[in-house]
Amino acid sequence: MIAVLTEIRVHPCPSVVESTEESVAVNPVEITDHDLMLAVRAGEIARLGDLFERYHRPLYGFFVRLTGQRTASEDLVQLVFYRILKYRHTYRDEGKFSAWIYHLARKVAADHFRKNAPVVLAEPDDLHEVPDRAPHAADQAAQADDLALMHRALGTLPLEQRELLTLHRFHNIRHEELARLFDCSVGAVKVRMHRALGALRERYFKLRQERAA
Amino acid sequence: MNCQRVQETFIDYQAGTLTAAESAAVREHLKTCLTCQREWAGWQETLLQLDRLPTEEPSERLRTNFYAMLDTHVRQAREPSPFALMRNRLDRFFENLVPTRPALQFAFSAVLLVAGVIVGARYLQPAATAPVVTDPATQSQLAELQQKVDSMSQLVAYSLAQQQPANTRLQQIAATLARGDADAKTLAGLVSTLAFDPSTNVRLSALEALYAHADRPLVRQGVLASLPREGSPLVQLAMIDFLTSVRDRDAAPAFEALTRDPAIDVAVRDAAQRALVQL
Repeated sequence: MIAVLTEIRVHPCPSVVESTEESVAVNPVEITDHDLMLAVRAGEIARLGDLFERYHRPLYGFFVRLTGQRTASEDLVQLVFYRILKYRHTYRDEGKFSAWIYHLARKVAADHFRKNAPVVLAEPDDLHEVPDRAPHAADQAAQADDLALMHRALGTLPLEQRELLTLHRFHNIRHEELARLFDCSVGAVKVRMHRALGALRERYFKLRQERAA
Repeated sequence: MNCQRVQETFIDYQAGTLTAAESAAVREHLKTCLTCQREWAGWQETLLQLDRLPTEEPSERLRTNFYAMLDTHVRQAREPSPFALMRNRLDRFFENLVPTRPALQFAFSAVLLVAGVIVGARYLQPAATAPVVTDPATQSQLAELQQKVDSMSQLVAYSLAQQQPANTRLQQIAATLARGDADAKTLAGLVSTLAFDPSTNVRLSALEALYAHADRPLVRQGVLASLPREGSPLVQLAMIDFLTSVRDRDAAPAFEALTRDPAIDVAVRDAAQRALVQL
C-alpha cells in the first residue's frame, strides 16, 4: 500500500493543479496577463474584463476557503478588481501579475478579517456530489465524508496556514512567489508549509478518529 | 539520511524538486523505515484529500457587479473632467488666435514688437527718479534744510571727535599737515574742527592746515561757512586773511555782514572792510 502511494504520488505540483478547476488556463498564443495589465495601466480600462475572466474564479475560491462565506467572497473579489483599477499605476513592469493580484487579495482578506471576526467554515453543499472514480456507492459515500472532514480540518487552521496551503495547492503559486508574498525566504516558506501540512494532517486524522469512535 | 531529515524533505520529494540522488536516498530510506513510511502515507492521504476538495463557483451576481463597476470607470475615463475641458477650450482659443505657419508667426511677432515700441514711446513717459521742484521759494527752503542737515551731521561727527583732549586734536592736525596730501574726508574733518572746536588754538591750527588746500572749493566754502558763527576775533581775523589771500569773491557778502555788525570786534570789522576793498 505504502509502496503504491510512493509510486503514484511523487509528481510535480502543476499536474495536481491541472486537475483543479481553479487553474488559470492561458493559451500560449494569447496575450499574457502581464500585457493585459500593462494595457490597463496605460488607460485601456476595458481590458480589465479579460483579466476578470481569467482570475475571478480562482480569487473567489481563495476567498471562500479563507472566509467560508460565499456572498462576502464575491464582494471581496469585486474589491480586488476595484483596487487593481485604483492602484493600476503602481503595477511594475518586471512584476508577475499573478503574484501581484494575490498580494492584493491577501490585503483585501486581511482588511476583511480586521473588520469581521473569522467564522467557522461552512461545509459546501456540493461536497457530497463530487464526482469520483470510485466504482462503488459505498466508497463514494466514504470519500465524500473524508472530504467533509478535510474541509472542516482546513477551516480550523490559522489564517496564514490556510492562505499558504490554498495558494500553493489550489492556485499553483510556487515557493519563490510565496516567499515574496509572505515577505520571507524560500526556506522559511517551506518550513511554514511543512508545519501547515503537519497541522492539517493532525487535525484531519483526529477528526477521522472521532468519526470512527 | 536520518528520519527527521527525510521527513523535512517530504515537501520537495512530493513536488519532485529534489535532485535524483536525494530522491533515491529518500526512497531507499522509506523502504526500510516503518515510522517514515507511516508519516509519508499520512502526508499522501492528507494531500490527496486536500487536492480533492471541490471548487465553488461564484454566482452571476459577481460578473454583473464587476461589469457595472467597469462600465462606470470606462465612462469616467472617457468623459474628461471639467478642468480638462476648460483647458482644451483655452488651448483652442490661443491656437486660433496665433497663426500656425512659422513665417506668419515671425511676422506676427515682429508686428507686435513694433506696435509695442510705438505705443510705449507715445504714451509711456519714463518715471521721474526724483520730484522736480520748480517753485523758487521751495527751492531755497530745501537748500536751507540741506545746509542745516549737513551742519548737523558735521556737528555730530565732530562731537564724537571731541572725546579727545585739545592737545591730541592739535597733534592730529599736525599729522594731517605733515602728510601733505589730504582726501575730501580729511579736509571735511579739518573744516569741522575750524567750525566747531571749542579751543581757539585748535581752530587756528586747523585754519593753518587748510592753507595748503586753499585752492579746493570745499575748503573755501567751509571757511566761508564757518566765518559767521566764529566768536573769537583772532580766528575771525585769520579767516578774513585766508579768504582774502585766495581771492574768494563769494566771501564779499560775509565780509559786508561783518562790517555792519556792531557786536563784532572793531579790529575785525576794519579787517573785513580792507578785505572788501582788496576783493
